[in-house]
Amino acid sequence: MNQPARVLAAAAPSPATARTAMERIAAELGRAVQGKEAQARLVATCLVSGGHLLLEDVPGVGKTTLAEALARACGLSFARVQFTADLMPADILGAQIFHAQTATFQFRPGPLFRQLVLADELNRAPPRTQSALLEAMAQGQVSLDGSTHALPSPFTVVATQNPVDFSGTYPLPDSQLDRFMLRLSLGHPAPDVEAKLLATRGRAPPLDAVQTVSSPEEVAQLRELSAELRLDGTVADYVVRLARATREHGDIERGASTRAVLALGAAARTQALWEARDFVTPGDVRAVLVPCWAHRVLLRSAVQGVAARDEAAHLLEELTRKVPAPR
Amino acid sequence: MTRGTRLRLVLRDVASGCAFASMAVSGQLPLWTLGLFAFALVAALFGKRLFARRAKLTALLLLGVAAVLAVNVTSGALNLVVAACAFAGLISAHRLLSAPDPATDGQVHLSGLLMVAGGAALSGELVYGLFLVAFSVLSSVSMALGVVEAAVPEGEPIPVRAVLRPLGTGVTFAVAGAMAFFILFPRLNWNMTGPRAAPGLGPATAGFSNTVRLGGAGTIKDNPRIVLRATLSPDPGVDALGSYWVGRTYDIFDGMEWTNAGGVRREREPLLTLRPGGDNLIHQRVELLPAYGARTLIALETPSRLGNAVANGSTGSRRTSLQELAGGEARFLEAGVSYAYEAYSLPPGGSGDSFRKLPSEEQDALLALPEALDPRVAQTAARVLNGEREPLAAAQKLATWLQREHAYTLEQNGEREDPLADFLFDRKAGHCEHFATALTLMLRTQGIRARLATGFFGGERVNDGYVLRAGDAHAWTHVLVPERGFVTVDATPPAHRPSQGSRLLQRLLGLYEALESRWRNSVVDYSFRDQVDVARALVRPPKGAENTARSRLPPARAWGAALVAGMVVYAAWRLVTRLAGRPRPHAATRFVDAVEAMLVPARLVRGEGETLEDLDARLARERHPLALALAPVTRRYLEARFGGRPLRQGEADQLLRALQQSVAAHVKLEAQRARASEPRARAS
Repeated sequence: MNQPARVLAAAAPSPATARTAMERIAAELGRAVQGKEAQARLVATCLVSGGHLLLEDVPGVGKTTLAEALARACGLSFARVQFTADLMPADILGAQIFHAQTATFQFRPGPLFRQLVLADELNRAPPRTQSALLEAMAQGQVSLDGSTHALPSPFTVVATQNPVDFSGTYPLPDSQLDRFMLRLSLGHPAPDVEAKLLATRGRAPPLDAVQTVSSPEEVAQLRELSAELRLDGTVADYVVRLARATREHGDIERGASTRAVLALGAAARTQALWEARDFVTPGDVRAVLVPCWAHRVLLRSAVQGVAARDEAAHLLEELTRKVPAPR
Repeated sequence: MTRGTRLRLVLRDVASGCAFASMAVSGQLPLWTLGLFAFALVAALFGKRLFARRAKLTALLLLGVAAVLAVNVTSGALNLVVAACAFAGLISAHRLLSAPDPATDGQVHLSGLLMVAGGAALSGELVYGLFLVAFSVLSSVSMALGVVEAAVPEGEPIPVRAVLRPLGTGVTFAVAGAMAFFILFPRLNWNMTGPRAAPGLGPATAGFSNTVRLGGAGTIKDNPRIVLRATLSPDPGVDALGSYWVGRTYDIFDGMEWTNAGGVRREREPLLTLRPGGDNLIHQRVELLPAYGARTLIALETPSRLGNAVANGSTGSRRTSLQELAGGEARFLEAGVSYAYEAYSLPPGGSGDSFRKLPSEEQDALLALPEALDPRVAQTAARVLNGEREPLAAAQKLATWLQREHAYTLEQNGEREDPLADFLFDRKAGHCEHFATALTLMLRTQGIRARLATGFFGGERVNDGYVLRAGDAHAWTHVLVPERGFVTVDATPPAHRPSQGSRLLQRLLGLYEALESRWRNSVVDYSFRDQVDVARALVRPPKGAENTARSRLPPARAWGAALVAGMVVYAAWRLVTRLAGRPRPHAATRFVDAVEAMLVPARLVRGEGETLEDLDARLARERHPLALALAPVTRRYLEARFGGRPLRQGEADQLLRALQQSVAAHVKLEAQRARASEPRARAS
């Protein structure tokens, strides 16, 4: 099944072929988590944009399955780390091991040295461990005992957290949240999908249905293509105006950062690929605005978790109506 | 209350205050209305809306106020227009103290307009103009903020700064536009029923009464208000004219005050000839300013002919006739705020009046002495003259003696039983009226005919003409010299003849009077005629060019003015385009405008914040019949606008034509469907 991916990898992709490749990936994700096409597309968007993904949802809606399916569909090396209160940085980064025979220290890489890392329930780990992970996400490398170890490429972290149950957690600081390009929640599947699941799930685990339809090389090529798409000056100005609107909004304590502006630009570029376009439109920007920014803006109101995200999403949608798009 | 709302209300209240002030500057409103309004304004500015709870109940207060005003009007204590203005101010005060809802805001602005109109009826002066501009600017900004406030959803901050900048530009343009309108379209003078206040600072002279009383109050010598402007021809060309400008003369003295024999000599003369003139008359074009405050004409000594008089009043300017009174006084028949006229005067040296032509009672009066004249007066005169009988030489001898032996003072000595004896023998100090009276009577005791003259002395060069100030008012003596007529002899020490005021005050007042006069001429009284004059001045050949060869082309001035006008228009156009700051719309933007206009017949209208891209996506989701036709158009628009692939020549038309056809077909189909469903509906 790796055949088409190799063919694609040989020729430089065009927006049209990129769309086909991304649709293939999204289709495989859809096999693992049914009835969530929009989210599957956003997951693919995040991967192609070179960002990290934050999945916020109640347990049991398929967050882990989605991450594993992504790794499998793209042929990425995968590790899952269950974040707990006693997890130490060395547990994920790796450690220097003493070899008695050679009498030397040797670096044994931790689970972080995979192309796709699932950080399950990230907010349960102590801040020290969280920041070790987030630093690796930002730098693309791990520094340990004075030596630097490069992480594999592509390197993507999919973190999950439960937005409802906060007992025994260390909520991620806003500066850390800013490092996730997109934030998604899957939500419960539709009743008919759930009924179908009941009927079919017994036969085979959902991940078995996922096939490898892409390769790390193709993902790298898609990333390159996405980064080169044309972003017209008026659209860039639109993004900046949206950011300013969040900064000047009365209900928002802290608006979008410059990193958020860059992330929105990158995500909008990949969004344009879904339409097989080689340029970004204001519509692309609006399509990814909420998943890209809702977790980054800090509201004045005291609401937390899901409610805060919903309110942020509502405010951002209101802004898209108020801030005039370039014509 | 947000900061934006507070700012809007403060602007509204201050604007209302300006509107009230525009009436108050006339000085005609009753004092208590001033107090009530000021109280309401201060309370409103501090946010104390005292009537917020009981709006209807407190409105009854207005009824009471109306009743008080009505009583005042019926009793004649108050003019109807003034009362109406005061009432408008009190309505505004009541509204200021009410709860600030949109209706109240509107009423405050409306009452502001009423007050400004009232102010125009009451004064229309320079200060009024300033308050009018302040009111218009402040209330425009306040109203605009109100509009913005209504558009901003509840709880969100009002973008005051973002609004004020374009608004400021807009208001500047509006004010500039209003001024341009004013210049292009002359003001129509309409008859206002209201009385006009004496403009500016009010009259500055005591005026010319029928008597001159020694002692008591007189014209204050240091008042620097300008009362008269005159241009002379031939122009003497000196900085200080030092001439006598006569108003009237007096011949009977009763020991206390000067009066005249006889009454009105001539009534209703358009042109008054006081005495025959010669070849070398001095022509004067005189303007009596509002500070003058009297109806007596003033002219250089000795006036020959007076006429061409115009009185400027509240209802515009009109010609007025003159009347001649005793003492050679010429008066305007009709009262005005200011006057303009022309006069011809004989050159100095003697009036040329023949004694025998004077009315008999005046002939007698020239030697008359008061009954209770102190005998020392005659004795002193005889002693000083020492046998000198020639009238002029005698007068000069006495004048020199008076100047030497007596001091000049402006301090009034109060009422004395015999002011003349007091001046001559006790106090030995006085002002011009004392000196002139003393000289006149001392001459008469020696059988020399003389009379008292009052008017102004001096003349200060300003631009091309001369001005006289209120402090230049003066009194002197006319001595009758056979064969020459009356000759002026001044007993007052020369240093104290002209105005004695401070230089700085004179400058400041001069500036104010110049501004006031400019305002009066070019704003209040600006008319179609003035416009024509300006235009004529441009095309008329320059002065002194009559002898050179005449050209049919307009003079260089006209070309210059046209050039300047052209440059101003060009600069304004450049400024407008720069301020508008909008680059020309993108070709693709014009295309999308056309597309959207085309979709309207199919009832496809963008929602709030929706773009064509969104509309296209929506139609595709809804499987709208036009989605297929719109998709390529949208795609091409997006490419052209954001993808760097501009529309080719004629491509837009081609796409639009295709879309037009689809839309037309769709509309037709819809209409057919509607018709098809109609009969069924009726049948059921």
